[in-house]
Amino acid sequence: MRLGRWAWLLLLPLLCVLGLFLFGLGELVWSSFNGPDGPGLDLYRQFFARADYIDVLIRTLWVAGLTTVVSLFISYPVAYFIARFQGRRDWLLVLILLPWLVSVVVRTYGWIVILGNRGLLNGFLGWLGVIDSPLRLLFNTTGVVIGLVHVFCPFMILAILAVFLQLERALEEASMSLGAGPLETFRRVVLPLSLPGVISGVMLVYLMSTGAIITPLLLGGLRDRMLGTQIYQEMFQLFDFPKAATLAVILTATAFLVVLPLQWLERRVSRNLKGAA
Amino acid sequence: MTAWIVAHRTIVAAVLLFLPAPIIIVILSSFTKAGYIGFPPGELSLRWYAEFFSSADWLATLGLSTLLAALAAMLSTFVTFLGALAVTRQRLPMTQGLETLILLPLIFPHAALGVIMLGLVGIFGWTGNFLGLLLAHFILTIPYAWRPIVAAMRKHDLAVEEAAMSLGAPPFYTFRKVTLPLLRPGLVTALLFTFIISFDEVTVSLFLVGPDLSTLPVKIFSTIQDSGSPVIAAISAILIGFTIAIVFLLDRVIGLELFVAAEQRRKPTA
Repeated sequence: MRLGRWAWLLLLPLLCVLGLFLFGLGELVWSSFNGPDGPGLDLYRQFFARADYIDVLIRTLWVAGLTTVVSLFISYPVAYFIARFQGRRDWLLVLILLPWLVSVVVRTYGWIVILGNRGLLNGFLGWLGVIDSPLRLLFNTTGVVIGLVHVFCPFMILAILAVFLQLERALEEASMSLGAGPLETFRRVVLPLSLPGVISGVMLVYLMSTGAIITPLLLGGLRDRMLGTQIYQEMFQLFDFPKAATLAVILTATAFLVVLPLQWLERRVSRNLKGAA
Repeated sequence: MTAWIVAHRTIVAAVLLFLPAPIIIVILSSFTKAGYIGFPPGELSLRWYAEFFSSADWLATLGLSTLLAALAAMLSTFVTFLGALAVTRQRLPMTQGLETLILLPLIFPHAALGVIMLGLVGIFGWTGNFLGLLLAHFILTIPYAWRPIVAAMRKHDLAVEEAAMSLGAPPFYTFRKVTLPLLRPGLVTALLFTFIISFDEVTVSLFLVGPDLSTLPVKIFSTIQDSGSPVIAAISAILIGFTIAIVFLLDRVIGLELFVAAEQRRKPTA
Protein backbone atom coordinates (compact mmCIF):
# COMPACT_ATOMS: atom_id res chain seq x y z
CA MET A 1 0.00 0.00 0.00
CA ARG A 2 1.34 3.40 -0.83
CA LEU A 3 0.90 5.97 1.87
CA GLY A 4 1.54 9.29 0.18
CA ARG A 5 0.95 12.20 2.51
CA TRP A 6 -0.55 9.93 5.13
CA ALA A 7 3.02 8.97 5.95
CA TRP A 8 3.59 12.21 7.85
CA LEU A 9 0.36 11.80 9.77
CA LEU A 10 1.40 8.30 10.83
CA LEU A 11 4.76 9.61 11.91
CA LEU A 12 3.31 12.51 13.87
CA PRO A 13 2.69 10.80 17.27
CA LEU A 14 6.20 9.34 17.26
CA LEU A 15 7.70 12.71 16.38
CA CYS A 16 5.71 14.38 19.17
CA VAL A 17 7.00 11.98 21.80
CA LEU A 18 10.57 12.30 20.57
CA GLY A 19 10.10 16.06 20.53
CA LEU A 20 9.16 15.90 24.21
CA PHE A 21 12.36 14.02 24.93
CA LEU A 22 14.44 16.60 23.07
CA PHE A 23 12.61 19.32 24.98
CA GLY A 24 13.49 17.62 28.29
CA LEU A 25 17.09 17.38 27.14
CA GLY A 26 17.11 21.09 26.25
CA GLU A 27 15.67 21.96 29.63
CA LEU A 28 18.38 19.93 31.36
CA VAL A 29 21.17 21.76 29.53
CA TRP A 30 19.44 25.10 30.12
CA SER A 31 19.09 24.51 33.88
CA SER A 32 22.75 23.57 34.12
CA PHE A 33 23.67 27.05 32.86
CA ASN A 34 21.29 28.80 35.25
CA GLY A 35 22.78 28.92 38.71
CA PRO A 36 21.35 30.90 41.62
CA ASP A 37 23.25 33.99 40.42
CA GLY A 38 21.79 34.10 36.92
CA PRO A 39 22.89 32.50 33.67
CA GLY A 40 26.50 31.54 33.16
CA LEU A 41 29.06 28.87 33.82
CA ASP A 42 28.84 29.22 37.62
CA LEU A 43 27.58 25.71 38.28
CA TYR A 44 30.33 24.18 36.18
CA ARG A 45 32.95 26.33 37.86
CA GLN A 46 31.65 25.20 41.24
CA PHE A 47 31.87 21.59 40.13
CA PHE A 48 35.45 21.75 39.00
CA ALA A 49 36.48 23.79 42.05
CA ARG A 50 35.46 21.03 44.46
CA ALA A 51 38.04 18.34 45.04
CA ASP A 52 35.43 15.81 46.20
CA TYR A 53 33.50 16.19 42.93
CA ILE A 54 36.68 15.67 40.93
CA ASP A 55 37.22 12.51 43.00
CA VAL A 56 33.72 11.32 42.13
CA LEU A 57 34.35 12.01 38.45
CA ILE A 58 37.64 10.12 38.45
CA ARG A 59 36.10 7.21 40.38
CA THR A 60 33.26 7.05 37.85
CA LEU A 61 35.73 6.83 34.98
CA TRP A 62 37.80 4.24 36.80
CA VAL A 63 34.88 1.99 37.78
CA ALA A 64 33.26 2.25 34.34
CA GLY A 65 36.57 1.56 32.60
CA LEU A 66 37.35 -1.42 34.82
CA THR A 67 33.83 -2.82 34.34
CA THR A 68 34.20 -2.48 30.57
CA VAL A 69 37.59 -4.19 30.42
CA VAL A 70 36.56 -7.08 32.68
CA SER A 71 33.31 -7.52 30.73
CA LEU A 72 35.20 -7.60 27.44
CA PHE A 73 37.67 -10.22 28.66
CA ILE A 74 35.02 -12.57 29.96
CA SER A 75 32.47 -11.95 27.19
CA TYR A 76 34.64 -12.48 24.15
CA PRO A 77 35.44 -16.17 24.82
CA VAL A 78 31.79 -16.83 25.69
CA ALA A 79 30.49 -15.21 22.50
CA TYR A 80 32.96 -17.23 20.44
CA PHE A 81 31.96 -20.43 22.21
CA ILE A 82 28.24 -19.84 21.65
CA ALA A 83 28.77 -18.95 18.00
CA ARG A 84 30.67 -22.20 17.38
CA PHE A 85 28.44 -24.36 19.55
CA GLN A 86 27.11 -27.34 17.62
CA GLY A 87 24.22 -28.37 19.86
CA ARG A 88 21.07 -26.45 20.76
CA ARG A 89 22.21 -22.88 20.96
CA ASP A 90 18.92 -21.77 22.53
CA TRP A 91 19.81 -23.36 25.85
CA LEU A 92 23.05 -21.43 26.04
CA LEU A 93 21.28 -18.25 25.05
CA VAL A 94 18.78 -18.70 27.88
CA LEU A 95 21.67 -18.68 30.36
CA ILE A 96 22.64 -15.23 29.03
CA LEU A 97 19.22 -13.74 28.28
CA LEU A 98 17.40 -14.74 31.43
CA PRO A 99 19.80 -13.01 33.84
CA TRP A 100 19.91 -10.08 31.43
CA LEU A 101 16.14 -9.60 31.54
CA VAL A 102 15.81 -9.97 35.32
CA SER A 103 15.59 -6.59 37.04
CA VAL A 104 18.82 -4.96 38.16
CA VAL A 105 17.58 -4.69 41.75
CA VAL A 106 16.89 -8.41 41.93
CA ARG A 107 20.31 -9.31 40.55
CA THR A 108 22.06 -6.83 42.81
CA TYR A 109 20.18 -8.30 45.75
CA GLY A 110 21.47 -11.73 44.72
CA TRP A 111 25.01 -10.39 44.94
CA ILE A 112 24.37 -9.09 48.44
CA VAL A 113 23.34 -12.63 49.42
CA ILE A 114 26.41 -14.14 47.76
CA LEU A 115 29.07 -11.61 48.76
CA GLY A 116 27.87 -10.56 52.21
CA ASN A 117 29.68 -11.45 55.43
CA ARG A 118 27.16 -14.20 56.14
CA GLY A 119 26.83 -14.91 52.43
CA LEU A 120 27.44 -17.94 50.26
CA LEU A 121 31.02 -17.21 49.25
CA ASN A 122 32.34 -16.39 52.72
CA GLY A 123 30.44 -19.33 54.17
CA PHE A 124 31.96 -21.67 51.61
CA LEU A 125 35.50 -20.35 52.02
CA GLY A 126 35.17 -20.52 55.80
CA TRP A 127 33.90 -24.10 55.57
CA LEU A 128 36.90 -24.98 53.39
CA GLY A 129 39.10 -23.41 56.02
CA VAL A 130 40.74 -21.07 53.51
CA ILE A 131 39.87 -17.96 55.49
CA ASP A 132 39.50 -17.25 59.20
CA SER A 133 37.44 -14.10 59.06
CA PRO A 134 35.02 -13.15 56.26
CA LEU A 135 36.46 -11.37 53.23
CA ARG A 136 35.13 -7.89 52.69
CA LEU A 137 33.56 -8.21 49.26
CA LEU A 138 30.64 -5.87 49.76
CA PHE A 139 30.46 -2.14 50.31
CA ASN A 140 33.66 -1.49 48.41
CA THR A 141 34.78 -1.05 44.81
CA THR A 142 35.22 -4.82 44.32
CA GLY A 143 31.53 -5.35 45.04
CA VAL A 144 30.49 -2.55 42.68
CA VAL A 145 32.60 -3.89 39.82
CA ILE A 146 31.37 -7.48 40.31
CA GLY A 147 27.78 -6.24 40.31
CA LEU A 148 28.22 -3.97 37.28
CA VAL A 149 30.03 -6.65 35.26
CA HIS A 150 27.15 -8.99 35.98
CA VAL A 151 24.56 -6.43 34.99
CA PHE A 152 26.24 -5.34 31.77
CA CYS A 153 28.29 -8.23 30.37
CA PRO A 154 25.24 -9.80 28.60
CA PHE A 155 25.16 -6.66 26.41
CA MET A 156 28.79 -7.28 25.49
CA ILE A 157 28.22 -11.00 24.82
CA LEU A 158 25.23 -10.27 22.57
CA ALA A 159 27.04 -7.51 20.66
CA ILE A 160 30.05 -9.72 19.91
CA LEU A 161 27.91 -12.78 19.23
CA ALA A 162 25.93 -10.87 16.59
CA VAL A 163 29.16 -10.34 14.64
CA PHE A 164 30.41 -13.91 15.12
CA LEU A 165 27.17 -15.34 13.79
CA GLN A 166 27.67 -13.44 10.56
CA LEU A 167 31.24 -14.62 10.28
CA GLU A 168 31.67 -17.51 7.88
CA ARG A 169 33.38 -20.45 9.44
CA ALA A 170 34.92 -21.10 6.01
CA LEU A 171 37.15 -18.05 6.48
CA GLU A 172 38.87 -19.68 9.42
CA GLU A 173 39.16 -22.96 7.61
CA ALA A 174 40.63 -21.20 4.59
CA SER A 175 43.20 -19.49 6.79
CA MET A 176 44.17 -22.78 8.45
CA SER A 177 44.34 -24.68 5.18
CA LEU A 178 46.65 -21.98 3.84
CA GLY A 179 49.04 -22.88 6.64
CA ALA A 180 48.26 -20.40 9.42
CA GLY A 181 48.22 -21.88 12.91
CA PRO A 182 45.14 -21.49 15.14
CA LEU A 183 46.65 -18.56 17.02
CA GLU A 184 47.64 -16.76 13.86
CA THR A 185 44.20 -17.41 12.39
CA PHE A 186 42.67 -15.92 15.51
CA ARG A 187 44.94 -12.90 15.49
CA ARG A 188 44.71 -12.14 11.78
CA VAL A 189 41.24 -13.35 10.80
CA VAL A 190 38.83 -13.79 13.71
CA LEU A 191 39.89 -10.85 15.85
CA PRO A 192 39.89 -8.16 13.13
CA LEU A 193 36.56 -9.34 11.77
CA SER A 194 34.96 -9.28 15.21
CA LEU A 195 36.14 -5.73 15.98
CA PRO A 196 32.84 -4.00 15.11
CA GLY A 197 31.05 -6.15 17.71
CA VAL A 198 33.77 -5.52 20.28
CA ILE A 199 33.58 -1.78 19.73
CA SER A 200 29.80 -1.59 20.01
CA GLY A 201 29.88 -3.79 23.13
CA VAL A 202 32.55 -1.60 24.75
CA MET A 203 30.51 1.49 23.90
CA LEU A 204 27.33 0.13 25.46
CA VAL A 205 28.91 -1.22 28.62
CA TYR A 206 30.99 1.89 29.27
CA LEU A 207 28.00 4.15 28.67
CA MET A 208 25.72 2.26 30.99
CA SER A 209 28.28 1.80 33.76
CA THR A 210 28.93 5.53 33.97
CA GLY A 211 25.24 6.17 34.63
CA ALA A 212 24.58 3.37 37.12
CA ILE A 213 22.93 4.28 40.43
CA ILE A 214 21.38 1.17 41.92
CA THR A 215 24.42 -1.11 41.92
CA PRO A 216 26.91 1.41 43.37
CA LEU A 217 24.37 2.45 46.03
CA LEU A 218 23.64 -1.10 47.13
CA LEU A 219 27.03 -2.79 46.70
CA GLY A 220 29.37 0.16 47.18
CA GLY A 221 30.49 1.75 50.40
CA LEU A 222 29.91 5.32 51.47
CA ARG A 223 33.12 6.32 49.76
CA ASP A 224 32.22 4.62 46.48
CA ARG A 225 30.25 7.54 45.17
CA MET A 226 29.91 7.77 41.41
CA LEU A 227 28.38 10.53 39.30
CA GLY A 228 25.08 8.64 39.20
CA THR A 229 24.80 8.27 42.95
CA GLN A 230 25.94 11.86 43.42
CA ILE A 231 23.13 13.05 41.13
CA TYR A 232 20.66 11.02 43.13
CA GLN A 233 21.94 12.55 46.34
CA GLU A 234 21.86 16.16 45.08
CA MET A 235 18.32 15.58 43.89
CA PHE A 236 16.76 13.78 46.83
CA GLN A 237 18.77 14.82 49.84
CA LEU A 238 19.57 18.39 48.84
CA PHE A 239 16.71 19.01 46.35
CA ASP A 240 19.05 20.92 44.08
CA PHE A 241 17.77 20.44 40.53
CA PRO A 242 20.22 22.84 38.79
CA LYS A 243 23.16 21.10 40.41
CA ALA A 244 21.80 17.66 39.53
CA ALA A 245 21.32 18.94 35.96
CA THR A 246 24.93 20.15 35.82
CA LEU A 247 26.15 16.77 37.05
CA ALA A 248 23.93 15.02 34.49
CA VAL A 249 25.40 17.12 31.67
CA ILE A 250 28.93 16.37 32.89
CA LEU A 251 28.02 12.67 33.13
CA THR A 252 26.66 12.67 29.58
CA ALA A 253 29.73 14.53 28.34
CA THR A 254 32.05 12.00 30.02
CA ALA A 255 30.15 9.18 28.37
CA PHE A 256 30.12 10.83 24.95
CA LEU A 257 33.82 11.68 25.11
CA VAL A 258 34.48 7.96 24.94
CA VAL A 259 31.48 6.83 22.92
CA LEU A 260 31.58 9.24 19.99
CA PRO A 261 35.20 8.46 18.96
CA LEU A 262 34.37 4.76 19.29
CA GLN A 263 31.34 5.21 17.06
CA TRP A 264 33.53 6.88 14.46
CA LEU A 265 36.05 4.05 14.79
CA GLU A 266 33.32 1.43 14.41
CA ARG A 267 32.13 2.99 11.16
CA ARG A 268 35.68 3.10 9.84
CA VAL A 269 36.41 -0.49 10.80
CA SER A 270 33.14 -1.72 9.27
CA ARG A 271 33.85 0.17 6.07
CA ASN A 272 37.37 -1.21 5.84
CA LEU A 273 36.10 -4.74 6.40
CA LYS A 274 33.52 -4.31 3.66
CA GLY A 275 36.15 -2.87 1.35
CA ALA A 276 38.43 -5.83 1.99
CA ALA A 277 35.72 -8.43 1.42
CA MET B 1 47.34 -25.23 22.00
CA THR B 2 45.43 -27.55 24.32
CA ALA B 3 46.30 -25.15 27.12
CA TRP B 4 44.45 -22.44 25.20
CA ILE B 5 41.44 -24.66 24.72
CA VAL B 6 41.37 -25.54 28.42
CA ALA B 7 41.67 -21.85 29.36
CA HIS B 8 38.87 -20.95 26.94
CA ARG B 9 36.55 -23.68 28.23
CA THR B 10 37.28 -22.68 31.84
CA ILE B 11 36.37 -19.05 31.24
CA VAL B 12 33.20 -20.05 29.40
CA ALA B 13 32.14 -22.43 32.16
CA ALA B 14 32.87 -19.81 34.82
CA VAL B 15 30.81 -17.14 33.04
CA LEU B 16 27.92 -19.49 32.39
CA LEU B 17 27.94 -20.20 36.12
CA PHE B 18 28.46 -16.55 37.09
CA LEU B 19 25.47 -15.21 35.13
CA PRO B 20 22.67 -17.31 36.63
CA ALA B 21 24.31 -17.53 40.09
CA PRO B 22 22.63 -14.58 41.85
CA ILE B 23 19.27 -15.56 40.43
CA ILE B 24 19.48 -19.13 41.63
CA ILE B 25 20.74 -17.98 45.03
CA VAL B 26 17.85 -15.54 45.42
CA ILE B 27 15.31 -18.24 44.62
CA LEU B 28 16.88 -20.70 47.07
CA SER B 29 17.24 -18.20 49.89
CA SER B 30 13.63 -17.05 49.52
CA PHE B 31 12.50 -20.26 51.24
CA THR B 32 14.26 -19.42 54.49
CA LYS B 33 12.44 -19.40 57.79
CA ALA B 34 14.90 -17.07 59.45
CA GLY B 35 14.28 -13.36 59.90
CA TYR B 36 17.50 -12.39 58.16
CA ILE B 37 18.91 -13.29 54.80
CA GLY B 38 21.85 -15.62 54.48
CA PHE B 39 23.02 -18.62 52.60
CA PRO B 40 22.44 -21.56 53.00
CA PRO B 41 18.86 -20.68 54.01
CA GLY B 42 18.69 -23.14 56.93
CA GLU B 43 15.21 -24.28 57.87
CA LEU B 44 12.77 -24.00 54.96
CA SER B 45 9.37 -22.35 54.90
CA LEU B 46 7.03 -20.32 52.75
CA ARG B 47 6.81 -17.68 55.45
CA TRP B 48 8.06 -14.80 53.28
CA TYR B 49 5.78 -15.67 50.38
CA ALA B 50 2.86 -15.58 52.80
CA GLU B 51 4.07 -12.22 54.02
CA PHE B 52 4.17 -10.87 50.46
CA PHE B 53 0.74 -12.14 49.49
CA SER B 54 -0.86 -10.86 52.67
CA SER B 55 0.58 -7.38 52.29
CA ALA B 56 -1.86 -5.04 50.55
CA ASP B 57 0.96 -2.57 50.11
CA TRP B 58 3.21 -4.95 48.15
CA LEU B 59 0.32 -6.30 46.08
CA ALA B 60 -0.80 -2.79 45.15
CA THR B 61 2.74 -1.97 44.02
CA LEU B 62 2.86 -5.16 41.95
CA GLY B 63 -0.46 -4.16 40.37
CA LEU B 64 0.80 -0.66 39.63
CA SER B 65 4.00 -1.92 38.01
CA THR B 66 2.04 -4.38 35.87
CA LEU B 67 -0.42 -1.71 34.75
CA LEU B 68 2.37 0.77 34.04
CA ALA B 69 4.33 -1.76 31.99
CA ALA B 70 1.26 -2.91 30.06
CA LEU B 71 0.22 0.67 29.18
CA ALA B 72 3.76 1.74 28.29
CA ALA B 73 4.20 -1.36 26.12
CA MET B 74 0.93 -0.80 24.26
CA LEU B 75 1.53 2.92 23.77
CA SER B 76 5.08 2.59 22.52
CA THR B 77 4.32 -0.42 20.32
CA PHE B 78 1.32 1.33 18.74
CA VAL B 79 3.04 4.66 18.13
CA THR B 80 6.18 2.95 16.86
CA PHE B 81 4.09 0.74 14.60
CA LEU B 82 2.50 3.79 12.94
CA GLY B 83 5.83 5.54 12.58
CA ALA B 84 7.55 2.45 11.24
CA LEU B 85 4.81 2.00 8.62
CA ALA B 86 5.60 5.48 7.36
CA VAL B 87 9.37 4.99 7.38
CA THR B 88 9.44 1.60 5.69
CA ARG B 89 6.90 2.41 2.98
CA GLN B 90 7.56 5.96 2.02
CA ARG B 91 10.73 7.59 0.93
CA LEU B 92 10.95 10.28 3.57
CA PRO B 93 13.67 12.88 3.82
CA MET B 94 16.17 12.30 6.64
CA THR B 95 15.20 8.71 7.44
CA GLN B 96 18.70 8.16 8.80
CA GLY B 97 18.42 11.15 11.11
CA LEU B 98 14.99 10.02 12.22
CA GLU B 99 16.27 6.59 13.17
CA THR B 100 19.13 8.15 15.15
CA LEU B 101 16.58 10.30 16.96
CA ILE B 102 14.39 7.30 17.76
CA LEU B 103 17.31 5.36 19.22
CA LEU B 104 18.63 8.46 21.04
CA PRO B 105 17.35 7.59 24.55
CA LEU B 106 19.51 4.45 24.36
CA ILE B 107 22.75 6.40 24.29
CA PHE B 108 22.19 8.42 27.44
CA PRO B 109 23.48 7.21 30.80
CA HIS B 110 20.49 6.26 32.93
CA ALA B 111 21.23 8.69 35.73
CA ALA B 112 21.15 11.54 33.18
CA LEU B 113 17.90 10.18 31.71
CA GLY B 114 16.41 10.26 35.21
CA VAL B 115 17.13 13.97 35.58
CA ILE B 116 15.87 14.70 32.05
CA MET B 117 12.59 12.88 32.72
CA LEU B 118 12.18 14.55 36.10
CA GLY B 119 12.49 17.98 34.47
CA LEU B 120 10.12 17.03 31.66
CA VAL B 121 7.50 15.53 33.94
CA GLY B 122 7.70 18.60 36.19
CA ILE B 123 6.53 20.82 33.34
CA PHE B 124 3.26 18.91 33.19
CA GLY B 125 2.93 18.88 36.98
CA TRP B 126 3.15 15.09 36.98
CA THR B 127 6.01 14.80 39.47
CA GLY B 128 5.49 11.76 41.67
CA ASN B 129 2.36 10.55 39.94
CA PHE B 130 1.40 7.76 37.58
CA LEU B 131 1.23 9.88 34.43
CA GLY B 132 4.80 11.03 34.94
CA LEU B 133 6.03 7.44 35.21
CA LEU B 134 3.98 6.48 32.17
CA LEU B 135 5.37 9.29 30.01
CA ALA B 136 8.95 8.39 30.97
CA HIS B 137 8.45 4.69 30.36
CA PHE B 138 6.72 5.44 27.07
CA ILE B 139 9.74 7.40 25.83
CA LEU B 140 12.25 4.89 27.19
CA THR B 141 10.64 1.83 25.59
CA ILE B 142 10.28 3.27 22.07
CA PRO B 143 13.76 2.16 20.91
CA TYR B 144 13.00 -1.38 22.11
CA ALA B 145 9.76 -1.46 20.09
CA TRP B 146 11.38 0.10 17.04
CA ARG B 147 13.92 -2.62 16.28
CA PRO B 148 11.67 -5.71 16.14
CA ILE B 149 8.88 -3.84 14.33
CA VAL B 150 11.13 -2.35 11.66
CA ALA B 151 12.90 -5.69 11.24
CA ALA B 152 9.55 -7.41 10.66
CA MET B 153 8.44 -4.73 8.20
CA ARG B 154 11.64 -4.84 6.17
CA LYS B 155 11.35 -8.61 5.86
CA HIS B 156 7.75 -8.28 4.75
CA ASP B 157 7.20 -8.41 0.99
CA LEU B 158 4.90 -5.64 -0.19
CA ALA B 159 4.04 -7.65 -3.32
CA VAL B 160 1.74 -9.83 -1.19
CA GLU B 161 -0.41 -6.79 -0.47
CA GLU B 162 -0.43 -5.79 -4.09
CA ALA B 163 -1.57 -9.27 -5.00
CA ALA B 164 -4.44 -9.07 -2.50
CA MET B 165 -5.51 -5.68 -3.78
CA SER B 166 -5.28 -6.63 -7.43
CA LEU B 167 -7.56 -9.56 -6.58
CA GLY B 168 -10.09 -7.01 -5.41
CA ALA B 169 -9.49 -6.68 -1.67
CA PRO B 170 -10.08 -3.12 -0.43
CA PRO B 171 -7.08 -1.45 1.27
CA PHE B 172 -8.29 -1.74 4.86
CA TYR B 173 -9.32 -5.37 4.37
CA THR B 174 -5.86 -6.09 2.91
CA PHE B 175 -4.28 -4.39 5.89
CA ARG B 176 -6.31 -6.44 8.37
CA LYS B 177 -6.08 -9.79 6.60
CA VAL B 178 -2.63 -9.67 5.01
CA THR B 179 -0.38 -7.01 6.51
CA LEU B 180 -1.20 -7.37 10.20
CA PRO B 181 -0.93 -11.18 10.35
CA LEU B 182 2.44 -11.02 8.62
CA LEU B 183 3.71 -8.42 11.08
CA ARG B 184 2.27 -10.16 14.12
CA PRO B 185 5.52 -11.81 15.34
CA GLY B 186 7.31 -8.46 15.22
CA LEU B 187 4.49 -6.74 17.10
CA VAL B 188 4.24 -9.43 19.77
CA THR B 189 8.00 -9.29 20.26
CA ALA B 190 7.85 -5.52 20.62
CA LEU B 191 5.01 -5.78 23.17
CA LEU B 192 6.74 -8.42 25.29
CA PHE B 193 10.11 -6.73 25.08
CA THR B 194 8.85 -3.25 25.99
CA PHE B 195 6.72 -4.73 28.77
CA ILE B 196 9.70 -6.34 30.42
CA ILE B 197 11.94 -3.28 29.95
CA SER B 198 9.33 -1.10 31.61
CA PHE B 199 8.48 -3.62 34.33
CA ASP B 200 12.16 -3.96 35.33
CA GLU B 201 13.15 -0.32 34.93
CA VAL B 202 14.46 1.12 38.14
CA THR B 203 17.10 3.84 37.71
CA VAL B 204 14.90 6.35 35.89
CA SER B 205 11.79 5.44 37.92
CA LEU B 206 13.76 6.22 41.07
CA PHE B 207 13.57 9.90 40.08
CA LEU B 208 9.85 9.84 39.36
CA VAL B 209 8.22 7.98 42.22
CA GLY B 210 6.49 9.95 44.96
CA PRO B 211 5.73 9.47 48.64
CA ASP B 212 2.55 7.51 47.92
CA LEU B 213 3.55 5.90 44.67
CA SER B 214 6.29 3.45 43.85
CA THR B 215 7.01 0.81 41.26
CA LEU B 216 7.88 -2.69 42.38
CA PRO B 217 11.63 -2.50 41.55
CA VAL B 218 11.92 0.88 43.31
CA LYS B 219 10.10 -0.44 46.37
CA ILE B 220 12.41 -3.45 46.41
CA PHE B 221 15.37 -1.09 46.22
CA SER B 222 14.22 1.06 49.11
CA THR B 223 13.35 -2.00 51.20
CA ILE B 224 16.84 -3.45 50.66
CA GLN B 225 18.27 -0.14 51.86
CA ASP B 226 15.94 0.16 54.86
CA SER B 227 15.54 -3.29 56.34
CA GLY B 228 16.85 -6.07 54.10
CA SER B 229 13.89 -8.24 55.10
CA PRO B 230 13.84 -11.67 53.42
CA VAL B 231 10.45 -10.76 51.92
CA ILE B 232 12.64 -9.20 49.21
CA ALA B 233 13.90 -12.65 48.27
CA ALA B 234 10.35 -13.96 47.89
CA ILE B 235 9.32 -11.01 45.71
CA SER B 236 12.49 -11.35 43.67
CA ALA B 237 11.76 -15.03 43.11
CA ILE B 238 8.27 -14.14 41.88
CA LEU B 239 9.73 -11.54 39.50
CA ILE B 240 12.22 -14.10 38.21
CA GLY B 241 9.26 -16.39 37.56
CA PHE B 242 7.61 -13.60 35.54
CA THR B 243 10.78 -13.13 33.50
CA ILE B 244 11.10 -16.85 32.81
CA ALA B 245 7.50 -16.84 31.53
CA ILE B 246 8.23 -13.95 29.17
CA VAL B 247 11.48 -15.47 27.89
CA PHE B 248 9.55 -18.69 27.27
CA LEU B 249 6.88 -16.77 25.34
CA LEU B 250 9.50 -14.93 23.29
CA ASP B 251 11.16 -18.22 22.46
CA ARG B 252 7.81 -19.61 21.32
CA VAL B 253 6.81 -16.55 19.31
CA ILE B 254 10.02 -15.87 17.44
CA GLY B 255 13.01 -17.74 18.86
CA LEU B 256 15.72 -16.37 21.09
CA GLU B 257 18.21 -15.71 18.32
CA LEU B 258 16.16 -12.61 17.68
CA PHE B 259 18.16 -10.83 20.36
CA VAL B 260 21.36 -11.53 18.55
CA ALA B 261 20.12 -11.15 15.02
CA ALA B 262 18.46 -7.77 15.56
CA GLU B 263 21.49 -5.91 14.26
CA GLN B 264 21.81 -8.17 11.29
CA ARG B 265 18.20 -7.75 10.21
CA ARG B 266 18.25 -4.05 10.77
CA LYS B 267 20.28 -3.64 7.63
CA PRO B 268 17.87 -3.02 4.75
CA THR B 269 17.80 -5.96 2.40
CA ALA B 270 15.99 -4.15 -0.39
